Order: sequence, then structure tokens, then C-alpha cells
Amino acid sequence: MMARRQSLAVLVAVLTAAGSLVACTDGGGGSKKATGPVTLTLVEYQKPRADAVEKLLPEFEAAMAKQGREVKVKLIRDILPDDQFKTKITQQYNAGEAPDVADYGAPFVPGFAGAGYLLDLKPYLEKWADWESFYPDIRDQIVQPDGKIYALPHEANTQNLFYRKDVLDRLGVSTTQPTSWPELVSRLKEITGKTGQPAIVLPAGKSWGGGTFGEGFLNVMLGTGSTLYNTDSRKWVIESSGLTQTFELYDELTKDKLLPVQALLNPEPWQPTKYKAFPAGTLPVAAQGTWGWRYDWGPAGSAPIPGLQSKVATWDYPSSDGKPYSVSSVAFSYEVTAQTEHPDEAVELAKWLSSGKAMAEQLVAVGAAAPRTGIDSVAPYSSQPKLIETGKQLSASRSFPPRPGQDQIAQAVAAATEGILTGKMDGAAAAKAFASNAKELLGPDQVETGS
Amino acid sequence: MRLSTNRAAVRAKRRRSGSTAMVVGMLGPSLVLIALFVVGPVGYAVWLSLTNKTLIGFGAQTPKFIGLDNYRQLLSSGEFLHSLSLTGQFIFFSAIVGQFILGMLAALLLTKSTVRAKGLFGSAILLPMVVPEVVASLAWASMLAPDRLGTVNRGLEAVGVTPMAWLQDHPMSSLIVVNTWRGIAFAMIMFQAAIEGISDDLIEAARIDGAGFWQLFRHITLPLIRGPVFLFLLLTTITTASVFGLIYFLTRGGPGGQTQVASIYIYEHSFAFFQLGLGSAASVIMLLIVLVLGLTYVRLAKVEV
Repeated sequence: MMARRQSLAVLVAVLTAAGSLVACTDGGGGSKKATGPVTLTLVEYQKPRADAVEKLLPEFEAAMAKQGREVKVKLIRDILPDDQFKTKITQQYNAGEAPDVADYGAPFVPGFAGAGYLLDLKPYLEKWADWESFYPDIRDQIVQPDGKIYALPHEANTQNLFYRKDVLDRLGVSTTQPTSWPELVSRLKEITGKTGQPAIVLPAGKSWGGGTFGEGFLNVMLGTGSTLYNTDSRKWVIESSGLTQTFELYDELTKDKLLPVQALLNPEPWQPTKYKAFPAGTLPVAAQGTWGWRYDWGPAGSAPIPGLQSKVATWDYPSSDGKPYSVSSVAFSYEVTAQTEHPDEAVELAKWLSSGKAMAEQLVAVGAAAPRTGIDSVAPYSSQPKLIETGKQLSASRSFPPRPGQDQIAQAVAAATEGILTGKMDGAAAAKAFASNAKELLGPDQVETGS
Repeated sequence: MRLSTNRAAVRAKRRRSGSTAMVVGMLGPSLVLIALFVVGPVGYAVWLSLTNKTLIGFGAQTPKFIGLDNYRQLLSSGEFLHSLSLTGQFIFFSAIVGQFILGMLAALLLTKSTVRAKGLFGSAILLPMVVPEVVASLAWASMLAPDRLGTVNRGLEAVGVTPMAWLQDHPMSSLIVVNTWRGIAFAMIMFQAAIEGISDDLIEAARIDGAGFWQLFRHITLPLIRGPVFLFLLLTTITTASVFGLIYFLTRGGPGGQTQVASIYIYEHSFAFFQLGLGSAASVIMLLIVLVLGLTYVRLAKVEV
């Protein structure tokens, strides 16, 4: 009797602790009745974007009022890092409690679209005259495998290797465009030989989250000539010479102490690298996107670099075919939740924010290029030659549209590169671990091997 | 005679049914709450663990029952087994060794009549327990910061020790120290209350017989507080197994998975990779492990909890 009572007591205590670990998720969707004036909710999770949009919303409300529609927008400022925002909004979507409109990066879209959280915008966009003004590459990139469009892009960017021109000049290291990785690696070794410190930050490991794949690995991989996704079979190619070459490059950079390994293993690896060492000039080369000009290193950025335009320049990524390239991608886009009670008004808001002055203001606030024509002459974007130039490079860049399953691929890349950083794997072993992990995460029917 | 026997039987039956109704009335609300908020979520987690439920991608719309596949995957996953091993180390060194020893020392000191400033000493030890987890984490992140930024490094530098990146070079040891610091107060309170319950006559008699401090502790104090000791071990094992915020804030399971204990593994798979089925299966495995540990403690202690 006593033993049973003891066992019951222990069970309850343990269940309580376990309940706190697992009590989660899967609430039912609530429904709200639409009556009277429409109030939309819009979530922004990055401060510069929230600040820019907050100023614009009264103009949108006024524009709607002119059309005789009473639409109010409640801005939800949920300032969070990417990964935490994704965790939060995923749960909101799943619980049917997401804001009507959200603003986030294109890599989030395939996973959310596949889960049925997002409204198909295609019927709305096909009737919108401005849609034709968006660059064809950008329009193609956001079409999902089911042929639908779930995101309205309002930013594009290119990614390059940013370097501290002032530092390299001082060190006597060439700043001409390197055409191959061996050439760049030898230059990086020269830098490290002179400074005694790592020379380049390429996102790697688990701590950088999706950035390890989207801001580093993918960019290098695109220069190998191998395919990562087979568009015909709609399968991920998890074994190829290009993948192995890319992992071997990370291995070489790690073993030669060219990567800041300890910093990359930090919980927030961008802090000691992009926000401290690069601005200080002690880590003079960084994989970076257009947003670096304003969001990271601009005067109002996270880590301003005085005299940025004269001190920092960019190289394209070296390529195995000797043709350096930049990588372009759809950056942030507006998405409308499938459960919104006001789809017409929500799409109207997304369209308005992706047009004219509203788009120009946002682009300048974060340092992104316009994904469409008709913005170059709109202030304040018209006074940003670097961004306009970036916009013109979009069509000449290489790109990789986000695909379903990209989250799992990014997860496998992060784990494999972390294995390299910690010295547990060499390049070949990391490639093997990646293939095995990706197959396990995606399932055998979603992957294939290539050349 | 027969009539009086029948009346007694009826009265006894009424008493029994009255007492059953009272038991149901008294326990009912608690049982309903436990069923709703404890058994229900755990039952749901067990169900999820038998599916391939995810929160993103096509799997989110069409979760399937996959039997024990998640369990098979976890039990053959080096990463998960490593996280269990790290959880074991974390519990053993921070809760069972660190909190127990230091909590016991603090309790013994506070029960000494000769010790002064007990209030101050006790408050200092209690402070870590009342500080919110996030505040405690922030304080330790600052103290363990690398180079000359961290308080610990500054102190060590003053005595000639080279500064280091504690959370990078010794991540698990650092977390063990922090969790020990957090848990001493709880151990101290439990042990102090138990020690104060020991009769002074017993201690006095042992002293008269020539027992020293260690002999007193080993043969008198410890056996007499065995119940509270095992109760503490049970509770601290359960709570330490589910420590999350402290580790997430300080290391996020890194670097290189060196502090990826089970709670971090479960969080990552459930809420970063959104594999709810797999994350739930990992939770259920943890539940079973802690359950077995808890029952072992209770059997060893032979205490009523």
C-alpha cells in the first residue's frame, strides 16, 4: 500500500515536471466575426522595419479612407532574433492566432506555405497592374511547387564578400577580385600571417541558425557547378562533388585558422564577428548581404563603421569556372495568414507597402534593393546609389529560390559545419554526415544523389 | 439479537458510503485538475510521440501514426544519447554533488550555535533562489564573459591567472557551477530544518561518548535526516533534468553541442526544427528515465512522500 502511494506521488511529481516540458502547441483555431470597420494586425520583428512601417501606416489608412474604406492597422512590434521570431510565429500560425499580415524572410515561406498557414496571393496579384513591374527572376523565385504564390516581396538583396579595403591596403594585401577559392584562400592566409588572427567570417555551425546555409554555405556551393535541388524530380541532391568541395573548403578554412572558430561557436556568433571584429578591422573579410550597408554597419546600424563607403568594398564569390558571381535573393516579403477574416484588406495593405514611396522608405531603412522597377526615382531610395546599383545586378546574379524542405537542409548543413568547426569531422566526413542527416530529416523519397 | 445486528450493519454501510462520498468530494477537484493539467498534456505528448507531427512543411497538414519509429530513431541517434549523457553529468555534478555538499555545509554552519551573523549568511545563500532565472543567467553571462570583460577573469587576472572564455573553454563546468549556486539554498533549507529536528540529547550523549564532528555527522546526523536527504535528491534530480532557461541563455547547448542536455535537445527539435513528434518522444524518454530515478530514490530512502 505504502509502495503504491510512493509510486503514485513520484509519478505525479515527475509528470508535473514533464508536463512543463511538453505542454505546448496545437491549439484550435479561433474565429472572430467581422463587424464594422476593419482592423488589421501587422507584425514586424526587426526594429528598423517596424520604425519605417509605423510612420507609413497612417498614410495607408488615409488612402483607404479616400476609397471610402475604414481600415485601421495595428502594428505589433515583436522585436526578436530571426530564430525566436520563427518559433513564435509558427506557434501562432498553428494556434490560429497569427496577425493578419506578417513581414519576414523568403526562406520561411516554403515551410509555412506547405503547412497551409498562408493565403494564396496569386489571384490578387494577377489582377494587380504593378505585379508586372516586379523583376521576372523575383517573381519566379517566389512561386511554390504547387504553382501558388504566398509572399509579396518588397526587398531584394545581393550577397557578396565584403572586405575592409583600408585594412587590406595597410597590410599590403591585394584587393583585386579573386577568381578562384585557392586564390582567395592564399590571400586570407597572407592576412592571417600578418595579423595572427582569423581573416574571414563565413557563417557556420548551429548557432548562426538558417544563416549558416543562406548566408554562407549556399553562396559557396552555387559556384561549384553542382545542383542542390533537382527541379524536375523536385528532390534535394544530397551527395555531389560540389557539396563535398564546399565542406572541404570549410575544413581548409578551419584547419588553417582562417575562420574565427571560437566566435562561430558562440550563442550569437554575429556579435563578436560582424558587430565587433569586422568594424574594428581585426576580421577584414565577411560574407554579407546588401543589408550590411545600412542595417549592420550604416550610421544607424547595429555596429556603425565611420566612413563605411570608403573603408568597405565587395568582392564577388569566387567560382570553379573562373567567373565570379554575386548571389541574389528575395529578402523580406509580406505574407497574409490563411485564417484572416479580412483577406482583401490584408492583401491591399501588403500591396500598398510594396509600392511607391512606402517601399522606398522601407528599402532605405534596412538597406535593400528594390525587387521591381519604378522605385529608382522615388525618394529617399533615389539618393542611394549603392542600393540602385545592387538592384541592377539582381538579374546578373546567381540565385537559389527557397524550396520545401530547405529548413531541414539548413539544419543538416549547420550540424555538418559545426562538426568541422569542433574538429570532429573533416570535409569528406562532414559531406557524408550531411547526406545521412538530410536523408533522415527529409525522408528517403525527398532526396537523391547527384554528380 | 438479529435485529440489532442488522441495524449495526446498516449503520456501518451508511458510514462507509458517507466516507466514500467525502473522499470523492475532497479529492475530486484535485484529481480533475491533475487530469486536466498533468495527465492530459502528458497523454497528448505520448500520442504525439507516436506520430510524425511537424509544425511546418507538408507534414504539418497530414501527420501520420508511425508507431515507435521516433523512439527507434532517438535510441539510435548519437546526438540524443550524447544529450542524455550530458544530462546525467549535469544532474550528478551540479545537483547531487554540488548542491548536496554545499547545501549540507551551509545547513551545518547555520545550526551551529557558535556561528555569528547567521541571518546575513543565510540571506546570502538564499539570494540565488529568489533571483529570477533570466536575471541569474544575465549576471553569470556578465561574470563569465571572455577576456577582461568578465568579473571572474578580472579577479583571476589580479592573481596572475590568464583570462579565458569560460563559456567556450569550459562550458559544462561553468553551467555546473551556476546551477550549483542556484540550488544551494533549497538544499540548505531542507537540511537545516531536518537537522534542527534532531534531539539535542542525542548529540550531547554522543559528544559525552567522545564522538568528534565527523563521527557525529556520519553516525548520528546523516542517518537521522536520511528521509529529507533522499527527498531533496528526488526533487533536485527532477528539477535539474528540466533546467532549460539557464543553459539556453548562457550557451544554447553549445559550443559544438558540449552543453546540449536533453531539455535543449527537446526544445531544438520541437521549437526550432518543429519536429513535434520526435521532440515529444524525447520528452517521454526523459519522463521514463526520471520516473525510474525517482522510484529508486524512494525505495532507497524508504520514505513517505
